[in-house]
Amino acid sequence: MFKYFLKKRLREKQFVFWSMIFPLALMTFMHIAFGNIYDIENHIDPMKTCVVTEDTGVFVYNFQSLMDEMSDENGDNYYFDLDYAASVEPAKKSLEDGEYEILFEVKADDIKVFLAPGHSATSAYMAKAVCDSYMRNYDLIMEAYEKDPGSAQAVLDNTLEEVSYTKPAQSAFSEDPDPYSWFFYSTLVMGIFFNSMSGVAIVSELCADVSADAMRLSVSSAKKSRMIISSFLSKFSISFVIVLIQLLFMRYVMDISLGNSIPKLLLFVASSILFSLGFGVICGTIFKGSTDNRGNKTTSVVMISVFLSGEMIQQLPGVFEKYAPFINDINPATVMNMAFYKLAICGDYTGFYMDIAKILVTTLIFIAIGVFVLRREKYASL
Amino acid sequence: MSDVIKVEGLVKRYKELIALDHLDLKVKQGEIYGLLGPNGSGKTTAINCILSLLEYDKGSITIFGKDMTPKSYDIKKDIGIVPQDLALYDSLTVYENIDFFCGLYIKDPAKRKEYVKEAIDFVSIGDFAKFKPKKLSGGLKRRLNIACGIAHKPKLIFFDEPTVAVDPQSRNKILEGIVELRNSGATIVYTSHYMEEVEQICDYVVVLDKGHKIAEGTIDELKNMIKKSEIITIEAAGVDEDTITYIREMKNIYNVEYEKDLLKVEAGSGKHNVIDIINILQDRGYKMKKIFSEQPTLNDVFLELTGKNLRDE
Ligand SMILES: Nc1ncnc2c1ncn2[C@@H]1O[C@H](COP(=O)(O)OP(=O)(O)OP(=O)(O)O)[C@@H](O)[C@H]1O
Ligand SMILES: [Mg+2]
Repeated sequence: MFKYFLKKRLREKQFVFWSMIFPLALMTFMHIAFGNIYDIENHIDPMKTCVVTEDTGVFVYNFQSLMDEMSDENGDNYYFDLDYAASVEPAKKSLEDGEYEILFEVKADDIKVFLAPGHSATSAYMAKAVCDSYMRNYDLIMEAYEKDPGSAQAVLDNTLEEVSYTKPAQSAFSEDPDPYSWFFYSTLVMGIFFNSMSGVAIVSELCADVSADAMRLSVSSAKKSRMIISSFLSKFSISFVIVLIQLLFMRYVMDISLGNSIPKLLLFVASSILFSLGFGVICGTIFKGSTDNRGNKTTSVVMISVFLSGEMIQQLPGVFEKYAPFINDINPATVMNMAFYKLAICGDYTGFYMDIAKILVTTLIFIAIGVFVLRREKYASL
Repeated sequence: MSDVIKVEGLVKRYKELIALDHLDLKVKQGEIYGLLGPNGSGKTTAINCILSLLEYDKGSITIFGKDMTPKSYDIKKDIGIVPQDLALYDSLTVYENIDFFCGLYIKDPAKRKEYVKEAIDFVSIGDFAKFKPKKLSGGLKRRLNIACGIAHKPKLIFFDEPTVAVDPQSRNKILEGIVELRNSGATIVYTSHYMEEVEQICDYVVVLDKGHKIAEGTIDELKNMIKKSEIITIEAAGVDEDTITYIREMKNIYNVEYEKDLLKVEAGSGKHNVIDIINILQDRGYKMKKIFSEQPTLNDVFLELTGKNLRDE
């Protein structure tokens, strides 16, 4: 029975297309069209920057070395295209003329930041991030420096990490999220969410009032509980494999970061598939009519959810977060997106677990209701 | 001989509509039991109730002498069903479809293989075993639908209008198949609104209308129930009113119509009806071209019992 359930599902062209081919095609398209542009932006286009050092001293010196690190063309953290200047006024003039985007004025124990008119959000963010983390770590650096100049480097490196790692966390819900990764994540999530169709398929497969073949199953001598398990497992395993393929594709063909915890990633995949199946079962039961009818209505719901999660307009969740955060909280696609985003980019595991917990609790409720409905051996109305 | 199915006082309501009204049925071992009725008379509803697919409001149902419930797996294992709507998986081939549904009952792979092969031969769709149902013609799909229902060799088989939208050739094949199943020992419940089919194969018939059983018996018993037993049609030009009235007033004649040179006479049972009428016409000097005499059909039975046709055609 399981074998045929599997076969049957795999041969359903529509399902395979929407949950597997379509997301992959979108990703490929995105990769080909914008991959190059974003590749650069991903490392961030080095920003024309001027550092004015009117004072000297350890504070200034260390800031300089941090900035040098971040303007090393061959380094991992090539964010700034750096010039040094000795006095502020001419530098400010250049800034106004648009020659520089950012101007750091480094005093004996303080840094002032100036931004060019019409500066980008990224440069503002980077300037602030650099200053903040430098100020925060300065004491540490000093301490280390006094003890062992070598270890100061480690602290510096740490500062670097902080700069490049905090960035996406900040922007996840901002109006300017990292658009490239966001696109891939939400496309993957869309693919996963489309597995709701499998949930609908379970309903149509097993509920005798939905399809004639389900009726045939119902009058057979096969146990209902066994049928539910077979049907569910077949859908789950197919989805799981499909998502794994997509992840491999993302990771190795598209070179998208998936975070560095495989168990957490698998946890994410498993729970979001379970959720989608549960969601589909519920939709399949709530909506009435033929199998196709139920499927189409479910697709619409999924589409809306995916749209609101910013698959097409990436700023959307950011806007909701500002004006109506509850939409993000209850939109399944957004929650899954965020969980993945937190896992893969921000390394915000607490947030990740919170989201997963949310997903799993909802799933549990869905599945409990689902099993109850599916187990009903009679159908009330045909 | 014990009854295979015994239904007593079955009542099924859909909200306001009473789909089945105190229905009693008794199906005996080894017969083809026909449920005859127009669209919406409750045939499918009756079957669904019997199979515990539908909850019913009142009544009792036993199959093989045991109460039928949704969990009666030991009863279900001996039942086969050929539903009114095609119950096939479009993404599986003909062979896989049969194998799947057979597999719900038969676990042993070797035995199942044999059974599936027999089912394929039975409905002769061997040439199409690797086809997907979509590519099959309507008649072939119906035959596949049947194969899926009978592959596990059930003792009791329900056929719900298996010949709807089927060409005459496939239809005959199906009907022959059903008789063959009966001859090999299965009990069969057969629903249809084609009285010709029911007349052709059923051993016992129940006529349903609006959820009521309006008649039952063997085909002959049913035909004997009605007064009218023969319809005589004679082609003769220019028959006058007086003659028509004369015939109408004859004993054993129920109705006379005359239209476009065709004289249509409905007569009760009797051996001389045709001869009597021919004699009258001859005496009065009419020339007769064609003469038919038809025995009543179940449709006439239905017509007389309910005042309407079995099918609106
Ligand atoms: N789920 C339902 N809800 C309400 N009414 C229903 C439902 N199913 C069937 N009916 C009604 O019950 C009556 C009997 O329907 P049923 O399908 O049993 O007829 P049938 O004899 O099988 O007809 P057909 O020849 O068209 O198959 C019909 O009047 C139909 O409209
Ligand atoms: Mg019917």
